[in-house]
Amino acid sequence: MGVFTMGVFPSLVGSGTLDFSFKLAEAALAKGHTVNMWLSGNAVMMAKKGQRAFKDYSHLEKKMMELVGKGMAITVCEACAEARGYHKEDTPEGMKRASMDWYLAKTFKSDRVLHIGGE
Amino acid sequence: MKLAVFLSDLRRTEDTYDRLKADKLGVILVENGVYHAVLKEGGKDSPILSKAGANFYVLSDDLETRGFTAAQVNSKVKVVSYGDIVDLIMNDYEKTAWL
Amino acid sequence: MGALKLCFVVQRPPYKSENPRLALTHSISSQTAEIHLEDGETVVPTLIFVGDGVLNATKNQQAMKLYGVTSTESHIKNGLLIDMPIWVCKEDMERLGLKEDQMIADAEDMGADLKTKFVSFAEIQKEIEACPHLLFF
Repeated sequence: MGVFTMGVFPSLVGSGTLDFSFKLAEAALAKGHTVNMWLSGNAVMMAKKGQRAFKDYSHLEKKMMELVGKGMAITVCEACAEARGYHKEDTPEGMKRASMDWYLAKTFKSDRVLHIGGE
Repeated sequence: MKLAVFLSDLRRTEDTYDRLKADKLGVILVENGVYHAVLKEGGKDSPILSKAGANFYVLSDDLETRGFTAAQVNSKVKVVSYGDIVDLIMNDYEKTAWL
Repeated sequence: MGALKLCFVVQRPPYKSENPRLALTHSISSQTAEIHLEDGETVVPTLIFVGDGVLNATKNQQAMKLYGVTSTESHIKNGLLIDMPIWVCKEDMERLGLKEDQMIADAEDMGADLKTKFVSFAEIQKEIEACPHLLFF
């Protein structure tokens, strides 16, 4: 089994790419791989507490928490979050905030990296 | 280099894909990239599928989401699941590029 | 132990999206990645502009004056200042009608020794092959 790190940058509401990212992460976990996810740019809003689910709006909070419960490490770009008014107290339990160097350091320890740039 | 390239758009604004070379190249069509596997604009296969020596894959979930089935997929392209993509990334290719 | 080479490849023009800027800030953050790593481990980035992404590297950008944001030009110069290799694809410059004298060639005004390299895609291909992980923006 290997270490798989994903860097995910696209936005939450309005981009199917985050749905793709979480489904791929789920499949990797199911196969026994260690999965890390770095959320940066608009994707940081994925990991903000208190989101309300509306029909037909991308809503992945439940899936995200389920994957965190299965051991997936999710870390949010702190600067990208603060720039969007997303503060430390808004971070769901089990997730971290860090500076960009965290992501680069994770790539060092990863067998594979899938970097999904933003729009 | 064993490289897995992800294409998620129908229209491309860059020509990186055309120029990238690899000893072993996998092209994984996801999101709107799946249209390359099923459309025949002007009666022709997508130019994406003309990349010499590449292996092509299309994500079944994204295909079916858009109203297409495996039966409509170009014979050059293999239909895969999320789990298959994980195996391609972790076992078959050394690195990935999401273009 | 050792150094991990990372290729940051920017394919899109600047400003409309923050995406190219994030390539710059993430690559520059390699300077401090070592705090998360073991002794002797380091991340070594190369920042590459291809396709329409070469438009990030034009000089005389006025983003700070007009929009109050750090220009991509300043970020590129900061990259040169920390000795991060910055490569710009020559064929794409030619395709877009850009000459080298229109591009950020150095950051001498900031005291940087390293200069921008204007390279063929064939050279970029070699660098991509040499990097274990690729980060396309």
